[in-house]
Amino acid sequence: MILHILNRAPGTSLVYREALAGMGPEDRLLLIEDGVNGALPSQVRHFEPVSNRLFALREDLASRGLVGRCDETVQVVDIDGFVELTEEADKTVSWF
Amino acid sequence: MRYALLVQGAPYSHQASHSALRFAQAVVARGHTLDSVFFYHDGVYNAARLAAPPQDEPHLPDAWCDLHAQHATALLVCIASALRRGLLDEREAVRHGKVGHSLEPPFELTGLGQLIDLGQRCDRLVTFSP
Amino acid sequence: MEPQAASRDDLLVILRHSPHGTSWLRDGLDAALVAAAFGQTVSLLFQGDGVLALLRGQGSGALGQKGTAATLEMLSLYDIDALFVDAEALARLGFAANELMLPTDSVDAARTAALLASHRQVLVF
Repeated sequence: MILHILNRAPGTSLVYREALAGMGPEDRLLLIEDGVNGALPSQVRHFEPVSNRLFALREDLASRGLVGRCDETVQVVDIDGFVELTEEADKTVSWF
Repeated sequence: MRYALLVQGAPYSHQASHSALRFAQAVVARGHTLDSVFFYHDGVYNAARLAAPPQDEPHLPDAWCDLHAQHATALLVCIASALRRGLLDEREAVRHGKVGHSLEPPFELTGLGQLIDLGQRCDRLVTFSP
Repeated sequence: MEPQAASRDDLLVILRHSPHGTSWLRDGLDAALVAAAFGQTVSLLFQGDGVLALLRGQGSGALGQKGTAATLEMLSLYDIDALFVDAEALARLGFAANELMLPTDSVDAARTAALLASHRQVLVF
């Protein structure tokens, strides 16, 4: 299982498409930095193929005022959870 | 586990350096070893000795040095990326006939081979890009 | 459990940026060459605008800015011949595989995911 890390918002970059294309059936996707914009209910449809494997970093949501504004399908993790996700994956791939 | 980070974003221009530092602190807090941080592309600016950010902002180059002091994490700077961008240690400054130097220990200028070696040696290599 | 686990290659370098505008392409190629020189098995995947790196007829830029075509021509000297191209990106930009300067293997999303899974390390540039 690969942990994919995405730091771009779907509104400004199409790299999310390549990240999705690179994802295997068990892989997970973590949204960080501007990537967390993708966790909004209005944006989350872009990640529909991986909706049960979609995570967002809490502190990047918090600094942007987006905590509590995430779609309910997104699993919010703190920085400890980020490390834990990397522990559980065989490797990580960072898309930007 | 043994971790290494690859940082490719310039501090203060992109969040990449903040994210990498924050992740680095969390990695060691969870009991892992953070072997090295490799700075590539614009990430080499994290090693700028003369960086003087405003006092109410985090001093990222100093924060990397603290990480080294507390956890013996190697701070490896790609020499090819660094020289192009004016980041020279004392030895390179002399070699290129420059007055003054812009990079000093614990940051080390090194080749890209070190990054490949980290990828082989460490359990996890996590990249932070701009 | 992955079927590819028995024959894992070492490094997959994904190149997503076109030449000249940024140094991402060159930096990615440098990483690939160094890994190959260290004896690793290296594959390249050209994705998005990165497929433009493979067009024929590239030159240096204004003021002598170096391109990457010469580096691509050296790949075989480093035994890097596993070259993959994102078929959708190529089509989107209006090019066909036979217009590229090197022989490549076209991949769709399913093969892209398999490529990522089958390499021990993946670096995106």
